Amino acid sequence: MRRFVPIVLTATVLLAGCQGGGGGDTTTSGAAFDPKTCQGGTLTVLNQGGITHLDPARLYTSGGGNIPSLLFRTLTTRNRQPGEAGAKAAPDLATDLGTPSDGAKTWTYHLRDGIQFEDGTPITAADVKYGIERSFAPELPGGAPYLRDWLDGAASYQGPYKQPEGIKAIETPDDKTIIFKLSKPEGDFPYLATATQFAPVPKAKDSGTEYEKHPISSGPYQVESYEPKKSLVLVRNTHWSQSVDELRYACPDRIEVTSGLDSAVINQRLVTGAGGDANAVTTDAVVGPEQLAQLGTGSELDKRVTRGEFPSTTYLAFNTKKAPFDNPKVREALSYAINRTSVVNALGGSAVVGPSTTFLPPQKALGYQAYDHFPAGDTGNPDKAKQVLAEAGLSNLSIDLAYENDDSEGIGPKVASAIQEAFKQAGVTVKLNAIDAATYRDVTGKPATQPGLALATWGADWPSGGPFLIPIFDGRQIITAGGNFNLAQYNDPAVNTEIDAINALTDPAAAAARWGALDAKLGALALVLPLTHEKDVYLVGKNVKNAYADGWRGQLDISRISVK
Amino acid sequence: MTTAPPAPPVPSRALAALRRDRGFVTGAVIAGLMVLVALTAPLLAALAGQDYTTYHDTLLDSARGGVPIGGFGGISGEHWLGVEPGTGRDLFARLVYGAQVSVGVAVAATFLEVLLGVTVGVAAGLGGRWLDSGLSRVIDLVLSVPVLVMAISLLAIVPQDWPRPVLLAAVIAVLGWGGTARLSRGETLSLRTRDYVAAAQVAGAPWWRVARREILPGLTAPILTYAALLLPTNMVVEAGLSFLGVGVRPPTPSWGQMLSTATTWFRADPFYVFLPALMLFLALLAFVLVANGLRRALDPRQRELTR
Repeated sequence: MRRFVPIVLTATVLLAGCQGGGGGDTTTSGAAFDPKTCQGGTLTVLNQGGITHLDPARLYTSGGGNIPSLLFRTLTTRNRQPGEAGAKAAPDLATDLGTPSDGAKTWTYHLRDGIQFEDGTPITAADVKYGIERSFAPELPGGAPYLRDWLDGAASYQGPYKQPEGIKAIETPDDKTIIFKLSKPEGDFPYLATATQFAPVPKAKDSGTEYEKHPISSGPYQVESYEPKKSLVLVRNTHWSQSVDELRYACPDRIEVTSGLDSAVINQRLVTGAGGDANAVTTDAVVGPEQLAQLGTGSELDKRVTRGEFPSTTYLAFNTKKAPFDNPKVREALSYAINRTSVVNALGGSAVVGPSTTFLPPQKALGYQAYDHFPAGDTGNPDKAKQVLAEAGLSNLSIDLAYENDDSEGIGPKVASAIQEAFKQAGVTVKLNAIDAATYRDVTGKPATQPGLALATWGADWPSGGPFLIPIFDGRQIITAGGNFNLAQYNDPAVNTEIDAINALTDPAAAAARWGALDAKLGALALVLPLTHEKDVYLVGKNVKNAYADGWRGQLDISRISVK
Repeated sequence: MTTAPPAPPVPSRALAALRRDRGFVTGAVIAGLMVLVALTAPLLAALAGQDYTTYHDTLLDSARGGVPIGGFGGISGEHWLGVEPGTGRDLFARLVYGAQVSVGVAVAATFLEVLLGVTVGVAAGLGGRWLDSGLSRVIDLVLSVPVLVMAISLLAIVPQDWPRPVLLAAVIAVLGWGGTARLSRGETLSLRTRDYVAAAQVAGAPWWRVARREILPGLTAPILTYAALLLPTNMVVEAGLSFLGVGVRPPTPSWGQMLSTATTWFRADPFYVFLPALMLFLALLAFVLVANGLRRALDPRQRELTR
């Protein structure tokens, strides 16, 4: 569940976190798969990260998440398909992706017929509204922060426990209709409506912080037992049927999630596939070097692999307010000097990461446009870097590089050492500044304490260029109190205006083209030094069928796999 | 006013016994080689034409997670022991530079422990009742501290720009001098009852002269033996700390750090695990052999028997 509850730190995150979409390809074992006859068996999920909260208000997911999506249906959800088709939103509880009006400032949804909670009560628009209002309660923190920013006049709403009158910007004229009034045009609203905050919650069953012990399901499964961070057992919800939900196949009769396992252990168990492990998958343990070495083309193991790409970029963040990075020549020289091959190897090799010269990862849905403004080749161009530095009259440059003291997030000592060595070739001395992983984002996210040069990662909350570029380059998003992601501290009114203009577009394709162009334009300023983008390679158990990575997150979608 | 001459530090009889002890000689030769390797690391690396920081990306199979291309971890005429998976750094250079940290830290820590332990131990042994019980409680305290846990916390809080190897030696020594101190105190207590010590004290020799002239020579044998046993222990502690990631900082190599990186590769590139493990094993074996030989030759009880 790397992306499922990843952000304990997001209490301070204002816009975006770490979730989003991508392309992927299929690995389907066996003959033609029929969702009508796939039912039966017990699926085991072996994970590293535990589910700390199971409350739909508190989950921070991409496209509804993997396991949460089995319990919570939302207004829209990700279109559960591989490749580009999967990077689109699809109607879930709603009949369509929503009707925009008033220049994308008003969004209207109608609920489909026949939808019920696990106790048989019909799901109404008021339940959806109540679910959203709960996510504003300070007692239930952790969800994506967008709604507070987008909904008109909701910025200071304190949740239904303190303010039972609710949010005025959400209207429910009847049981089937729900209308959202926004403070500014937001063409991406159908993407946001995939978040678990858009799951219905019956007010009568709401027990505040206790609700997560047994959240009322609207999806194909319901909770049998749940122990935070350790285990979760799901059984069928008899009030759900395929006739009201075409997207989830819900093949296994029972799903058992075990968390807190070591990545190497998980992958070894999947390889061996003894006993129940033959019916096992993982949603957060990417294969390690041991398995990669065995993944020869055509090998038995190779057939049990799902490959996808979660849109995420690892990059070096320049603080352009701090010397020497206020000098564009320094940023350009370092961009020429970087050796992306050694960074790729430090992160696990070309099977799990790819080199990036653009800030947007290579997904069409995000508007990716190829560019390489400061060609460094595969292994860096130290001569060109030296030349740029010499032209700027700089020699014997010595800089500090901040990174996490732990490699688990991919911005740790291994990558830092590779960068140190690459810059050394260009005559730049790098002093390593390891920061405790637990406080890393606090230090880098506060302009007062932000180092001049820091390793950073960014992932999209949904497959669109907006959540990828806005927090990083919108000058109005510079947050001095902490939780800042505009690490370049770049503020150009022209760029801000362009961002507003793209936000008003409701056609994803038109928006994507302009996000891509904006990224290419910003890239020429060398505000960030893109290093790599992520690829996901997951193993599944011997007996697992129809396992593929969906195009939204590049991860295998539990709602469609079978162990029969 | 006659004082019996104290036993010489290492009697010639013991030296002869050591020379006949095959275990000791083997250990001493290996240990000597290790120290030599540590001292000449830059020279050896230069001889191989390599250094321990340069990345060799072309020698790695990136698609397979970054394992070295070729057998036995990518051994070639240029890279005598192959390259490190994931980075392509030369393993021969890293191994010999690693010796600097592993051997250097262990030797420095042992030296500091002996210095601190003997000082406190002798002071406690010669001092009055109050000084003795006071210092003994301090020794008890030091002995009761769990070294690894305490070292991890100490190393985690110091600023990063402090020189790590020096710091490692200091931390290991500060947490590990208790044994030497207790041993020195016990030996001093037994030595001070000897006639020649009593005579020196009656003659009005100041305490520091008594300590230096009468007590220390008698302590040499047991402390030397004990130090030889401390050395491998300290090497293991350093390796453990580096293994846990609180040891030396990248890109400085140490055997413990190499072992730590190797754990993720032990199936894909078993040769990488083998190298630092073998070096640690050899070093420990050598120092333990030396210590055992010393103990056999210098143990007071055995010396009494041979007299």
